Amino acid sequence: MDIVKAEDWMRSSQVKTRFLCTAIALVWIASCSRQPAHDAEQIVAPRMAGSLPTEDPTSGLWKQAPEYSATLLKQDVTEPMLTEAGVDRVKVRALHNGEWVVFRLEWNDPTQDLIPRPGHSSDAAAIQFPFQPGDQLPDHAMGEKGKGVRIWYWKAVWQDDTARAQAKGGDRIASLYPNAAIDHYPFQANESARAEMEKRYAPARAAENPITVVPGSGPVQVLVAEGFGNTRVAPAQTGRGKGQWENGKWMTTIARPLAGGAELGDLVAGKRSYLALAIWDGAKSDAGSRKMRSTWVPLVLRTQ
Amino acid sequence: MARVYNWQIGRSMDYWYSENRPKRQFGAVFDINKCIECQTCTLACKTTWTSGRGQEYMLWNNVETKPYGSYPLAWDMQILNRLGPQTWDGARYAGRTVFESVPKGLRVLNTPRQDIDYAYPNVGEDEILGEVERGGALSLPQQMWMFYLARICNHCTYPACLASCPRSSIYKRPEDGIVVLDQSRCRGYQECVKACPYGKVYFNPATGTSEKCIACYPKIEQGIQPQCFVNCIGKIRLQGWINPPEKAREDNPVDYLVHVRKIALPLYPQFGLEPNVYYVPPIHVPESFTHQMFGPGVPAAVAAYRNAKNDKTLAGLFALFGSTERTIPYFKIVGDYAVALDETKKEIMRVPIYEPVFVRPEHDRLYQVMRSNTT
Repeated sequence: MDIVKAEDWMRSSQVKTRFLCTAIALVWIASCSRQPAHDAEQIVAPRMAGSLPTEDPTSGLWKQAPEYSATLLKQDVTEPMLTEAGVDRVKVRALHNGEWVVFRLEWNDPTQDLIPRPGHSSDAAAIQFPFQPGDQLPDHAMGEKGKGVRIWYWKAVWQDDTARAQAKGGDRIASLYPNAAIDHYPFQANESARAEMEKRYAPARAAENPITVVPGSGPVQVLVAEGFGNTRVAPAQTGRGKGQWENGKWMTTIARPLAGGAELGDLVAGKRSYLALAIWDGAKSDAGSRKMRSTWVPLVLRTQ
Repeated sequence: MARVYNWQIGRSMDYWYSENRPKRQFGAVFDINKCIECQTCTLACKTTWTSGRGQEYMLWNNVETKPYGSYPLAWDMQILNRLGPQTWDGARYAGRTVFESVPKGLRVLNTPRQDIDYAYPNVGEDEILGEVERGGALSLPQQMWMFYLARICNHCTYPACLASCPRSSIYKRPEDGIVVLDQSRCRGYQECVKACPYGKVYFNPATGTSEKCIACYPKIEQGIQPQCFVNCIGKIRLQGWINPPEKAREDNPVDYLVHVRKIALPLYPQFGLEPNVYYVPPIHVPESFTHQMFGPGVPAAVAAYRNAKNDKTLAGLFALFGSTERTIPYFKIVGDYAVALDETKKEIMRVPIYEPVFVRPEHDRLYQVMRSNTT
């Protein structure tokens, strides 16, 4: 390289650097002036007065919350694993009012899968929090023994059960197989004992399995786990939310109180905490540990 | 994976959990040669256990016609195809079991299932292997064949459903080896539905959980055989207890048929589950077919069965099938009678080994009519 050319290069390099700095500054200014900002580092939940859009995923209020785009990975820690990648990204926004925090998850899913059947499961989403506060985080994969996690789990079929019940749209079987003709069920024989008989022939319901949610009790269940395989329903059920599927996209809200108490743990405004996310695609029969999930993501609830 | 011993394949194999045999193991023998596919067993089970919403196509007990019938659809073809070569070196299985050919990320080599697989429980019913050639139907032995295969959960020693459940919602009862699915714990992941190579775990969309045969354990606990056994018109079934071969007892009916006489064989032993329902193979079916289905013991079992009528103990034991509602833990032959004994060796039931034969003249002289042998 001769001297003249080197000077030219330096000059052009300085121009380039100056241009780049100006561009960055402009983008930064633009991001300050436009709401919501995209925050690549953490989920930031602005504090707002009044009621939250707990069951309104399309509310205009969501524009006040910056968007965080979480990368999802195949669950490949424990068997059964997810062998083919599914939903690889979920957009998250959060708002709180000092008492509750509500998250809105948004992800692409070309099919709406509500009622599980052989080979298909229900679309679902979950937000997991470490039980103990602080930066000593448990394994992001369902926590670990002695370092548990609390999970707010939304399942499309539970929401659909309630919607069908309200619309008097029949039960899951009638909805799945509208042309099925049934001759007779034994529980129809004796009207006075019908409810009891019907329960007897639905063993999971008779055994009070918590996944046989009674329509109307809400589509979000709070779970407790200390590693894989031991998930159970939390004694206190404080989950709320609603999913809406349109044009190949789910927008789902999941809400929890900040004060979870001794059972569920607390979130404190102004203090950094963490969460992890998971998405199940019913069309791919995702269920249980066969899911797409994130690692821990920092969460900040603004004090104002 | 642990190493466990599976006597049905004559070797040790991989399994998700270590070997832990129950105090005693539910066992059963089905004599295929007697089954007429009346489906009374299916109905007995269905009306007892699975008449609810969401259980419409759930058949804990079913009877399918072989070679073309199957429920769920192609359950056998699918897993046989996935399992790869299944060769035997004498009584030792040289191929791989469903626990030894597991794809990465799974616990068991499984079969994906769809709801359409459960929509045709009678597919292939009564169909024979091929067309009978002109006059072929009149010649013996029959050129074409079919047989009925009655199936329930095999209450396996190494259940694939149990191994596949990430929540440990399925367990083997230590007191009787019956495999049950905890309806309060299941979260409906359907791992077990796919993992059971026999297709004997079903998903209930109404509750969102999976369900399976419970061997009528409330009856077993009272010393009574399950519904599908006691309602069997053809008296093809016998329920009892099976010991491992080294602990086999000659006075135990299931041990005697399985271990001592080796006349009753497991269904697809090469899957590696050590199933505990044993079949007397159909004697008129080509060995190439039955060998794949019941393993290398088929020729000896068929020969023993063909000679059973001349063998007082065997004939007597078969006469005890369907003779009593009670479970038969012990038996003995006394003179011309087969005697079923309870746990304390007290007599439950006594049946003649050979039914007396009466030959009556064609013409009834008293009523002045011709007799016919229509039954």
